[in-house]
Amino acid sequence: MSETWLIIGGWVSAGLTIFLFSFLYKDNPFFKIAEHLYLGAGMGWLFQVSVTNVWLPKIWEPVMNGELLVIIPSILGISLLTQFIPRISWISRYGFTFMMGYGSGLAIPAGLSTDFLSQIGGTIKPFSMLASMTPFNIFGSLLVAGGTICVLFYFFFSVEHKGHLQKISNVGIYFLMIYFGAAFGNTVMARFSLLYGRFDDLYTYSAVKYFYATQVILVAMVVYFILHSFFTKNKKDVSEEAA
Amino acid sequence: MIKTKVITLIAFMLFAAGSAFAAKPAPAIDGFAALDMPYDVGNAAVLRWPANPADTDDTSYVVYVSTHETGGWLEADRFAAAAKTGKDIELPFWAWNGSAAEHAVKIELNNLFGESLPSSVFQFRVTAEKNKKVIAESAVVSVMPVGNWFRLDRLNNLILLIVLIIIFFWAVSHAKRKGLFIRRIAGLDAIDEAIGRATEMGKPIFYVPGIGSMGSISTIASAFILGEVSKKVAQYDSQIKVPHYDPIVMTVCKEIVKQSYMEAGRPDSYREDINQFVSADQFSYAASVDGMISREKPAACFYMGYFMAESLLLAEVGATSGAIQIAGTDVEHQLPFFFTACDYTLIGEELYAAGAYLSKEPMLLSALKVQDFGKLIVMVSVFFGMILVVLGAKLGWTDFVQGLLHLFKGY
Repeated sequence: MSETWLIIGGWVSAGLTIFLFSFLYKDNPFFKIAEHLYLGAGMGWLFQVSVTNVWLPKIWEPVMNGELLVIIPSILGISLLTQFIPRISWISRYGFTFMMGYGSGLAIPAGLSTDFLSQIGGTIKPFSMLASMTPFNIFGSLLVAGGTICVLFYFFFSVEHKGHLQKISNVGIYFLMIYFGAAFGNTVMARFSLLYGRFDDLYTYSAVKYFYATQVILVAMVVYFILHSFFTKNKKDVSEEAA
Repeated sequence: MIKTKVITLIAFMLFAAGSAFAAKPAPAIDGFAALDMPYDVGNAAVLRWPANPADTDDTSYVVYVSTHETGGWLEADRFAAAAKTGKDIELPFWAWNGSAAEHAVKIELNNLFGESLPSSVFQFRVTAEKNKKVIAESAVVSVMPVGNWFRLDRLNNLILLIVLIIIFFWAVSHAKRKGLFIRRIAGLDAIDEAIGRATEMGKPIFYVPGIGSMGSISTIASAFILGEVSKKVAQYDSQIKVPHYDPIVMTVCKEIVKQSYMEAGRPDSYREDINQFVSADQFSYAASVDGMISREKPAACFYMGYFMAESLLLAEVGATSGAIQIAGTDVEHQLPFFFTACDYTLIGEELYAAGAYLSKEPMLLSALKVQDFGKLIVMVSVFFGMILVVLGAKLGWTDFVQGLLHLFKGY
């Protein structure tokens, strides 16, 4: 890639990053440009992914190789598009019915196995090694078992949570909140790494090699916001005077 | 002459003795059998033979497999003599009868030959080795692996499913006759408040169904809630906007909203652009919905369904715009973000319960009852299972404990 293209890429990258960050101040035309560009680019990218990763290898190539069975699921898939033609939209029900049936058949046995049996088995299994467990391990296993029961009880809708039942439910909430706190911290840390990535790019594009792309765009936007604010204020004053 | 004869005779005797010594075969491993692995898709075999009490710690077994009648042997497994007994096969007691006095080895043929097996019949043999020398060898046996239609090892899953189905039908019948009780859920009671606020302010309501497909349970639950919300919106003659990520979800939601407007007696108020497709790219979708919320300043925002990293991006913008916000998802690591930015949050199961809670439909209420019964099974099983396992472990009832663990294994 030539040097010129790298510089152009740097300006586009720094520009779009700053345009999107400008939303932190307020909605503005730069954000709208970036938003619509992102929307269009995202759809374009997904379209080519669908063509190259689904249509070509899963339909076109098998049909060309004589595997005609793929036509059946393809027709079911195409039937969903008939939703856009009201007169024949009933055809889409076949596709939807197949999807719902297939989804249920796949999800129900897996759900039973993981949400019920594995949950119970996983909670009681540590106690089978009682002889080799330290007091701390026993405490940990009891905590997990107790927490499982209390949290599940919080989601039990068939009885009113009053009196002692309310206390069990509250313990469940404490367990949930501890988990949510940990998950929050964990995710925020991960998001910060994304933010550092963007800042790192902005720093890279602020170099002389990129003709100070970050600084120029940033200053230009600040000037725009000041001027915009100034003229909007003037317009407001005029309209107030007229009123 | 005599000297030459004697030398020839000695040489012949030495050669004969050497040949006899070299040809001495290794002792046989008796009772070696290769069988089709039961309850699988037909890509594994199980080998069984009696354990030899004379095996020492440095004895190891090597399993060979071949697709040819003779030769072409491939090492399939190697393990110490004390390992891999009949008890180690991962099948429950009702589907497998293994003992510690035998060796049982599961050979996954697809791991050795690839997903498409090169032959229908496979030859096996096993050798016992000590210090890298073969001390015993089995005869060659063959097996033809076949797929099984019925997974007997999942019998516990089937029984549980049948029990839940019976309870579901009982609950449907009970719900139709007498109704079913559901406790109050605060987040759902706030829906009326949010719609009322939007009506008073004359501002729209944003209902964001998330980025799940129609196969996601939370999206299905969200579609039920959308039905009830849009019915109330139609009754109050307010406005609702539903931006979509998935075209199929949009199609389903269109039908649901249209139906709700008809049920509310306001088909004239229904507009095709209530449901609008935005983007199937996660962050494009988030950026665009953020833009819409910040420009239109809705009075209420609902975030119900499957959400990932866009959860905070959406909820934060909604909070900044001053909207009353109600969220609900079963993605547990996104819930903390909704807690921080929304007024009410439905946690996991509460989202599933919402459709039934709002509509009071007997079918949905029954489904909720079955879920509750499932939770009751888990709570009771964990409590009593824990006590029984502790008792069994304390009293040394190993088979009882193993049997109990088999009952609660997912397979």
